[in-house]
Amino acid sequence: MKDLFSKKTALSVLYFMAGMFILGGIWALVSKITKNEIPSPTDTWVVFKEVMQQPFQNDPDYKGIGTKLLSSLGRVAIGFGLGSLIAIPFGLLMGSSKIAMKMINPIVQILKPVSPLAWFPLGLAIFQDSPKASIFMIFICSLWPTLMNAAFGASHIPQDHKNVSRAFGFSTWKYLTKILLPFSLPHIITGLRLSIGVAWMVIVAGEMLSGGMGLGYFVWEEGFNGGNIAKILVAIIIIGIVGSLLDKCFTWLQQRFSYAA
Amino acid sequence: MIDTSTLTTEENITEVANALLEQAAKAETSIEINNVTVSFKTPAGTYTAIKDISLSVQKGEIISLIGHSGCGKSTLMSTISGMVKATQGQVIANGKTVTAPGPDRGIVFQNYSLLPWLTVYKNIFVAVDSALKDKTKDEKIALVESNLKMVHLWEHKDKLPGQLSGGMKQRVAIARAFSINPKILLLDEPFGALDALTKSSMHIELLKLWNLDNREKTIIMVTHDIEEAIFLSDRVVVMNNGPAATIKEIVDVPLSRPRNKKDIVHDPKYMEIHDRLLSLLIDKFSIADEH
Repeated sequence: MKDLFSKKTALSVLYFMAGMFILGGIWALVSKITKNEIPSPTDTWVVFKEVMQQPFQNDPDYKGIGTKLLSSLGRVAIGFGLGSLIAIPFGLLMGSSKIAMKMINPIVQILKPVSPLAWFPLGLAIFQDSPKASIFMIFICSLWPTLMNAAFGASHIPQDHKNVSRAFGFSTWKYLTKILLPFSLPHIITGLRLSIGVAWMVIVAGEMLSGGMGLGYFVWEEGFNGGNIAKILVAIIIIGIVGSLLDKCFTWLQQRFSYAA
Repeated sequence: MIDTSTLTTEENITEVANALLEQAAKAETSIEINNVTVSFKTPAGTYTAIKDISLSVQKGEIISLIGHSGCGKSTLMSTISGMVKATQGQVIANGKTVTAPGPDRGIVFQNYSLLPWLTVYKNIFVAVDSALKDKTKDEKIALVESNLKMVHLWEHKDKLPGQLSGGMKQRVAIARAFSINPKILLLDEPFGALDALTKSSMHIELLKLWNLDNREKTIIMVTHDIEEAIFLSDRVVVMNNGPAATIKEIVDVPLSRPRNKKDIVHDPKYMEIHDRLLSLLIDKFSIADEH
């Protein structure tokens, strides 16, 4: 707790405040130039408080922003979770076997650059259900970074570690759990961190397409179509904060599972 | 020892013969290297690292392999451990032809090769658990404990390798190799990365462990340190420069054990061996003074 009040922390907070102040100034200026077409920070703050009055309201005809946020997070969690479950083992397989790499890598290289949104109509056609289609889209776009990073980790296991495994006659299971997985884990977490970032970006777009749910719907329907630009700004701030918190979680995991050689 | 200088008479001939047979049985061959050649395929063609090497090592002997960098001493070592396959010839260790690494040969690698995500204790346990499949869990735990205590690292058992000094890491690696109780111990430049003081105490520790085990383990060590080779070994195998390295000469070290680091260097026999090894390894002893 001591360093929470240290000079260094105080300075960081001060710099952060200064940065926010400058951003607020530019925002206010833009608002002034556009003659309040873009709402000012104070107007946005009023709308923010309004939106936050009953964030977890969950009536059939109206859902609060918190409820919408949770439904977006839920879909991201399912799609990202399923994607990771597939990507990690396949990535490790690719990294461990040259044959698997030659078989899978070309497919990945072709599918990876495809915009996640292109998968949405395909998901709709398969599932006939727009929430499921958004999950499908998240699933697909969560695959690639984790797959590539897991493969990178598994293919860079130092010869020293492999020698230990051979010299002491490790079983395949022991090799997997004591060498392959621990060595690849930091790389896998890097992949997961990139994946969750993409997934969080894509979910908003997906929900704009599918309509009726989540933060994307909030931005599009209540914000743009409802002519309430302040709501868009509120949503942007919330999406940004949640995204950076998700990223923080994985940064923490990264530090937790890194090791000194 | 039978005194061969006394004449064998008709009366004691059976006695002498029996004693000689007994002696021969005791001097069991631990490692037999028969005409081993190792070649690697490289993009530039076939590279022969060692060529036609033969060497016989007795049980309980300590042998050093010495030579310049890249002379194939590590390759020869890997052939004994089974990490590298002989292109021609064969290695017989403990009566069996070597085809792969096995728990009868413990290896201490050049750069310790500890798994950085496992504690000291788990690094050894994993090895024991894999190599000694027919032991019970309690026996394995006891082995890890006794070996860690032997190298005085029991109080550091919960540390990760990254938290240890080089000398401590090397002791963990040695404890790991000893804990599977191999008949043959293969040390690949085990003390190369240590400072001179740590190195000296590690030499003593290694010999202590060897003594504790009734000097029954055969030890083969790769080194490029002449003093280390003489202090530890019974024989020093000097290798020619590669490629296609061969054995240049085998120098006996007939110094009695236990050896004392301080006294041994003043022994005329030590100095003689030292000079011999130096002249085998180094061509030029000084720079030419004339212009």
